[in-house]
Amino acid sequence: MTTPKIVSEFRAGLASGELLIQNCNACGKPNMWPRYACPHCQSEDLGWVSSAGKGTLHSFCVLRQGAPEGFEADLPYAIGVVKLDEGVQLGVRLEPHGDEDWSAYQCDDRVEFAGKDDGRECAVFRRAQG
Amino acid sequence: MAENWTLNVAPGAANDPVFVGVGEIRTGKFPDRSFIEALTKVAILALRDAGMVPRDIDTILLIPNLHSAADQADLVFSRMVEELGIHGSCKASYMVHSGGSTSDNAVRAAHGLITAGHAQNVLVLQCERWGSADLNEMITMLSKNGIPGEWELPTGIQFNAIGAMITRRYMHASGSTAEDMASICVTLRKWANLNENAMFYEKPLTVERILASQMVADPLHAFECPPMADGACAFVVTSTENAKKRGIGNAVRLAGSGGCVSHYCLSQEPDQAVLGWPLAAERAWNQSGWGPQDADILEIYDSYAAVTAIALEGIGIAPKGDGARWIAAGNGDPGGKLPLNTNGGLLSAGHTGVGGGTALLVEGIRQLLHRAPSSRQVEDCQRAIIGGTGGSYMDAQILLLERTKLGA
Ligand SMILES: [Zn+2]
Repeated sequence: MTTPKIVSEFRAGLASGELLIQNCNACGKPNMWPRYACPHCQSEDLGWVSSAGKGTLHSFCVLRQGAPEGFEADLPYAIGVVKLDEGVQLGVRLEPHGDEDWSAYQCDDRVEFAGKDDGRECAVFRRAQG
Repeated sequence: MAENWTLNVAPGAANDPVFVGVGEIRTGKFPDRSFIEALTKVAILALRDAGMVPRDIDTILLIPNLHSAADQADLVFSRMVEELGIHGSCKASYMVHSGGSTSDNAVRAAHGLITAGHAQNVLVLQCERWGSADLNEMITMLSKNGIPGEWELPTGIQFNAIGAMITRRYMHASGSTAEDMASICVTLRKWANLNENAMFYEKPLTVERILASQMVADPLHAFECPPMADGACAFVVTSTENAKKRGIGNAVRLAGSGGCVSHYCLSQEPDQAVLGWPLAAERAWNQSGWGPQDADILEIYDSYAAVTAIALEGIGIAPKGDGARWIAAGNGDPGGKLPLNTNGGLLSAGHTGVGGGTALLVEGIRQLLHRAPSSRQVEDCQRAIIGGTGGSYMDAQILLLERTKLGA
């Protein structure tokens, strides 16, 4: 099966350093994850807006063992859930602030989009600068 | 704000469904015990407990397994009907599936079937072989269940990561300490030490040992992660009329239920320290007239300690923020104010996949039938709150069960 358009476009955004939020052209509301029809108004007229990339860290963890197949070499790695200021939320990887160190992160920290993960089709966030 | 739906059956009415029997075999690692063998054993145990034989059953509801697609196909295509010798007479055999909350939804299904007259005697069957399955295969499978492949699988998320994020958010929101969280596991172990069928029946556990165990997914230590196990259990539901005809004196009925599906993938949950429990509870109280003060025992899904602490707060057993401390204070212990997960729960009796919730439900029915071994039978147990959740804690399901005396 070919990659659905909403997936390829979201990933193309990540690859170009942009975090895209699906936005409904009919009702104007943002949707995350991107949907095939707007969950608010059922319109299929859906576009994209660029996120400012700022938000708060709802929660996170550092996985140290038991990676899914294909992720073993990534260990340890940190996964988080970010609530974007635009009002949607998503799952991300968190950038370490030292060598394999995520100890400075706390829930409700201000975080920012740092780009696409090196090897993975997902966004990376880090603690907000300043 | 919850709507007010009443059950369309009066307590004690001819078509009021009642639980009349349970069956269970040991949970742990039993590589030589086959899937069908285990299902057959628990079916016969539950039927005997109900005073029935296979021919009495007209409908089988199947709880799925997660270890094998081939075994799943055997279930779906009615193998158990033939194994029990009721091919030709059995009316229907099919699967209900919502992950860890399946047993709650299977109860709703059985209840509706009996109330409406589609079924008379329903046998619910569960078996899982997680303990004997390949661990890496199961981890990979669980990185795809309740996780959208196109959006979140790329982060490398899996079940312990999900449990760890909920635990961290809960600890942050409530101010619970690592010791508080570990104490919940110790409470469960005390119950498992009274349950011969539990995986860790003979193994004590302390807070110190938990906190000294390896960090798996910060903040979860190895001994705070659910032990994957083989296990099987079953229960029988019939109508009040049938139960009376059979001379059954005491049974268990459903006083009401409530549920809330709050997300599909964890990243879309508005508050990981709350989940769907408050709305599920409100719905359950509206349907039954019960409140949190009415329970004699709690059997609440516990794949991670935080999951149970969050549920206790949402159900109103503990004040907001005090769920973990309520358990850590010993309130749910054997001999405590309100016994919690009296079989040892998923964390200490063993995580049998979809079956972990079924085992808690079966334990609740067993306690209400007053058929638990004396070492853990809760005295004069009349009412139980059963709590379940599936997938990435996508839903909160509450069943309110009560012991009922069936007049002649
Ligand atoms: Zn819309």
